[in-house]
Amino acid sequence: MAAGARTGAGPGLYTQAHWLILGIAALLPIADLVLPQSLQVAGLVRPILIFAVLGMGLNVVTGFTGLLNLGVAAFMAIGVYTYAILTCDIYPFQWGFWGGLAGAMVSGMVAGLLLGLPTLRLRGDYLAIVTLGFGEMVQDSLKNLDAITKGTQGINPLPPPTFLGYAASQEQPLRLYYLLLGILAVVVLLTRNLENSRAGRTFISIREDELAAKCMGINPMKAKLLAFVIGACLCSTSGALWGANLGSSGEPGNYDFQLSVLALCIVIVGGMGSVGGVLLGSVVMMGFNSIILVKLTAFLTQRGLIGESVFTSPANWKYLVFGLALILMMRFRPEGLLPSRRVQSELHEIDSGLSAKPRVEDAKP
Amino acid sequence: MSLLRVESLSMRFGGLTAVNQVSFTVEPGQIHAIIGPNGAGKTSLFNAITGVYQPTEGAVLLNGHSPLPPFAVRTAAGIGVVTLLTALGVVLAVNVESLWEAVITANYIYQEPFPVRDAIVSFVQYFRDTELRYSVGAALVGAVLGGTGAYTVWRRTRWVADVLSRAGLARTFQNPRLFHQMSVLDNVLVGMEGRLGAHVWHGLLKLPQHRNESREAREKALAILKFVELEHLVDTTAFCLPYGYQRRLEIARALASEPKLLLLDEPAAGMNPREASDLMILIQKIRARGISVLLIEHHMRVVMGISDRITVLEYGNKIAEGTPEEVRANPKVRAAYLGGADL
Repeated sequence: MAAGARTGAGPGLYTQAHWLILGIAALLPIADLVLPQSLQVAGLVRPILIFAVLGMGLNVVTGFTGLLNLGVAAFMAIGVYTYAILTCDIYPFQWGFWGGLAGAMVSGMVAGLLLGLPTLRLRGDYLAIVTLGFGEMVQDSLKNLDAITKGTQGINPLPPPTFLGYAASQEQPLRLYYLLLGILAVVVLLTRNLENSRAGRTFISIREDELAAKCMGINPMKAKLLAFVIGACLCSTSGALWGANLGSSGEPGNYDFQLSVLALCIVIVGGMGSVGGVLLGSVVMMGFNSIILVKLTAFLTQRGLIGESVFTSPANWKYLVFGLALILMMRFRPEGLLPSRRVQSELHEIDSGLSAKPRVEDAKP
Repeated sequence: MSLLRVESLSMRFGGLTAVNQVSFTVEPGQIHAIIGPNGAGKTSLFNAITGVYQPTEGAVLLNGHSPLPPFAVRTAAGIGVVTLLTALGVVLAVNVESLWEAVITANYIYQEPFPVRDAIVSFVQYFRDTELRYSVGAALVGAVLGGTGAYTVWRRTRWVADVLSRAGLARTFQNPRLFHQMSVLDNVLVGMEGRLGAHVWHGLLKLPQHRNESREAREKALAILKFVELEHLVDTTAFCLPYGYQRRLEIARALASEPKLLLLDEPAAGMNPREASDLMILIQKIRARGISVLLIEHHMRVVMGISDRITVLEYGNKIAEGTPEEVRANPKVRAAYLGGADL
């Protein structure tokens, strides 16, 4: 019995951490009552929520299924631009927030399907290179399809999101905050369900051993394609939310390789394949990227502590810190801050006293 | 009728012939062993039968039928739809900017209602104005791309492991290939995959179909684990299992796919005598459930003890076949194992 008892799963902190994080996020705006205007949480935390959705999408593809995708920014861009074209009043469609969101999800899924169909037979590094190339292609296409996408100007203004007739514009940051949080909660719930369902099990089995999965009657092509399409759908959802949040599509150059890497960092730092981990990863990475660095730079500039030199501005240290953080993570906690139970047990096999071969007699009934 | 009929199957890798014109049959309810010295082509034969490799020549029949999916009306229709869609896609995409300008930009006046009818008229007009050969050329390129792509995908997914697994072949591997980070139970549940029918959205939304199916699957999986005597380790992560148990779990996972024929690749490798005799009992219990077994094995005690028929391979050729007694007495087999024709 011993081996079974030692690794038995339970609804512990690890498996329910995502609800804890979402719960804290739901209570955060209370802090706004005491914080000064420039530190209003409802405004600052929104990018974290949106990037958590992006991380969820990448997590399905890379965390569950084990396909390294370096082109998530492309799917995000497709989401933003579809949303922008479908909602902005310089185009005839004007479908409104939910219509635009649905349109963005569908276009993301179609893009995922188109990219996945010819390329998912590739393995590991080769697939990563193809997705990387796809990211560059989408960026350049958006830049050059001037007549449709307005090129480098970006599309704006986009109408604010609405929910049950209430507009959630920049002027009502709380509404926008809770709308985004609600969508993120739905995404988290669905991803958890996916992980615990038949499809999720299929994805993980492909990550673990594709040949064995195949011999068990799993069609790997179908399963990978499904994971890719679901991931692309979540990424383009995050894109649509990003557009709605900014009120602009931004320019195509915003959705570049660095953004894909940021998404990958969120998943790796949080813990590959762990839903709670992706939330935490987004808090850490985006909190650093879009709150701490921005505030620090503003503060130092205000005090006149930053000179002309590019080295003194904290915003320029960004990639140095990211790189260092990744190296330290890989050295000391490769499974991520909030790993899924499975990965943790694999990587810390020896520390937890589980040798690969417990005594046979011990485990006999 | 034979459960499995292998007809002059050859497997060549470049100039190397790993399996040469091998034929044999497995009858229902039999335990059939394949033996031979190292490098005789046993595992290649297994891989060719189970769809890991595509056999270079020859045929494999299950219950007298080829398990290959035929080129049905549905296949043709699917390829046709893909062809049309890609052709259409390429025609629209080839000059998408001017199309957009002609249809959308030209008809939309800022903040006025969009005249859909006019847009359709200009859409048609746009293709009237473009020279026909451009559109036809684009359509042809798209059709060729889509058609050949779809056909290639269909061809490549015929003789593959998942199709054969669903047709009733299940296998284990020479070195256990478990899903290490999954629990013992989940490993068995993956084995059941080919028999489950719930769709993604059933699982996403936790619909009743999904719940019922996963409850039933769980019960079945527990029964199988009980059968291989691993029921006390249900929640253990697979890589924590001792080696002998890993092999048992692999067999349980294969049984979960409800096979007609179970192929075991050296199930007793690395086992101590006690584990090996437990394994012999297990294999006989599997046969008693009506599942035929084809196994590769080096442990002669196991092979001679449980096999109904034995096929002997050497350098890819079948050199003998028969009951254990016949094979044991065969001089060619002795020569293959001990070397020298005069022994």
